Order: sequence, then structure tokens, then C-alpha cells
Amino acid sequence: MNSLTPSQLFISFSKIGISGFGGVLPWARRTLVEQDKILTSEEFSAILGICQIVPGPNVVNLAVCVGSRFAGARGAAAAVLGLTLGPILIVLVLALLYQHYSHLETVKGLLRGISAVGVGLIASTGFKMLRDEFRYPIMLLVVAITICAATYFHLGLGWVVLTVLPLALYLARKKALIL
Amino acid sequence: MSALLSIFLKLSVFSLFAFGGVNALLPELLNLAVYQEHWVDLQTFSDYFAIAQAAPGPNFMTVTLLGWHLYGVLGALVATLAIAWPSSILIYFLQRLILGIKDPIKKKSIQYAAAALAIGLVLSSAWQIAIQINHSTAAYILTLATIGFTLFTRWHPLYFIAIGGVLGVLGFI
Repeated sequence: MNSLTPSQLFISFSKIGISGFGGVLPWARRTLVEQDKILTSEEFSAILGICQIVPGPNVVNLAVCVGSRFAGARGAAAAVLGLTLGPILIVLVLALLYQHYSHLETVKGLLRGISAVGVGLIASTGFKMLRDEFRYPIMLLVVAITICAATYFHLGLGWVVLTVLPLALYLARKKALIL
Repeated sequence: MSALLSIFLKLSVFSLFAFGGVNALLPELLNLAVYQEHWVDLQTFSDYFAIAQAAPGPNFMTVTLLGWHLYGVLGALVATLAIAWPSSILIYFLQRLILGIKDPIKKKSIQYAAAALAIGLVLSSAWQIAIQINHSTAAYILTLATIGFTLFTRWHPLYFIAIGGVLGVLGFI
């Protein structure tokens, strides 16, 4: 494995952050695997798998994993900063524009349209992941109970996770033994 | 300052349960910011959500914007840090442990369980956010159309955001 300095990691992850329109993960693969050749495709998938186990922002987790792998804690910090600083700056500029122009009907309409699409994009992320669950349909029970707990019983996020987790782990073990 | 500390602590805790990423904690965020603490009204929250969706970068920018609304640039940084630090610390120490799990059954079980939880949380989130921010039948149709097209075509998400924006400007939504 070749080694990378924190500043190289910062640059790679800056590219990922800025170009990540509509989801950063595809860009992370493109940059890390295809362009900068930091990771092989298999390494990328293995690391991504770990990042999706841990709750919290998945791309930030990815930056921590890749960064620390090549340059320890400083590498992790450099990767996370690279990933986030550019986009934060851009979004703050947009926030200033919003402050000045949010009273315009055009802007209101624009944002109404985008938010309706945005929520659809989140839902389709969920539906795409749902496809995999049909390989072992009993796992759909976990999905259904989670949705019921959150939307019908209005349990908070923490309570939903704590109540569903035991069943999820139990069924996941059975799924792992079969598949 | 107390609101800043409060948002830091609450977001830190939420992020520890956010299987499926920040999208999973959006309903909690909306509830906290709009109905409990009255930091912003529902319209402003929806607008921030829209800006975050249209901007490049990681999908936690709704959180950043909310922090900005409260305390300017400092607020933006604090709110962003709040959702990122718990999982960053966690994964920093756990990654070797998880990579080192020799038993493939154990490893897969954890992955499958986390995935199922993530799906449930992300779908619930989309539902809860939709009923808050969509105010017209046209908005729901646009949301459903987005889901349909993204599932059955390979168009880039940016096209849908652009189309949504144009429909909105024209006054359809």
C-alpha cells in the first residue's frame, strides 16, 4: 500500500466534496478508485461496508476510514476537513443569497419544487436498498416495524433503534447463516 | 449561547442513532427546530432542506444551515461538528475491530442488521418529511414521480432537482 500525506488526502477529498452533486458516494468511488487510484475497487467496497454499519454521516465515516488508513489521526482529520470545508462554504454563500432573495415568489417556488424532489430522492435511496432485502424477505419485517415505530407510534429515533435492534440482529444472524 | 450548546448536544446524540446517515435524523431535526425550540418556522426549514439538496457535498447541509440560522458561521460549524464527531470517533476506533472480525457470519449479521434498520429509518424519514414540506397535490406527484424515475432510469439526480426547480418557478408546485 502506497502512503499518502494529509495534504494529499485533503485534496482528494476536497474534489469529492465539491463535485458531489446529488450524493457524494458515487463521486468518492470515482475519485478514490478510478482517478487518484488510492484504493482498489474491493478495498473501497470493504471500507464502505464498515462505514454503513456505524450510524452517522456515511461519507464522513468514509473519510475517517480512508484518511486514518493512510496517515493516522491527522490523515482522518485532513480527509474530513477536505470533504466538508468547500461544500460548507458554498452552502453558506447560498444561505446569504437566500437571506436577500427569499421574499421573491420565484425563489419560493424554486425551493418548493426542489424540496419536493429532494424528499423523493431520499425515499428512492431507501427503495433501492430495499431491493436487496427481498433475497431474505423476513428481514422486511424489521423494515416494517421500524417504519411503524417511527411514523405511526412517533417514537424518537433513539427509541426506534433500541427497540428494533434486537430483532434486527436476531434475523440478520439467521440471514447470514442461510445466504 | 444556550441554544448553541443545546443544538450541539442534541445533534451529537441523534447522530449516534442515525443508521442510514443524516437523512435518517431529518424528522428529529425538524421536530426539534420547528416544534420544540421554535428556532425556525416550517417554511424556512423546508427552504433550508431544498438548498441543502441542491448544493454539492455531503447530505448533512440542512444541519449546517440550521446552525447558520442560529449563530452565523460559528453556528454552522458547531452544528456540522455535532453530527460528525460521535460517529467519526466511533469508526476511528471500530474500523480495525470490524475489519478484523474473522467470523464471516458475525460480520454479515452486523451488516444485514444495520442495513435493514437504515432502510426503515430512511423510508420513515422520507415519509415524515414529505407530509411536513409538501403542501399541494402537485408537490406529492412530483415526489412520487422523482421516486419512480430514479428507480427505473439512470438519470443523474441533478436533472430531477433542476426539473423540480423549474416546475416550482413556473408556479406548478
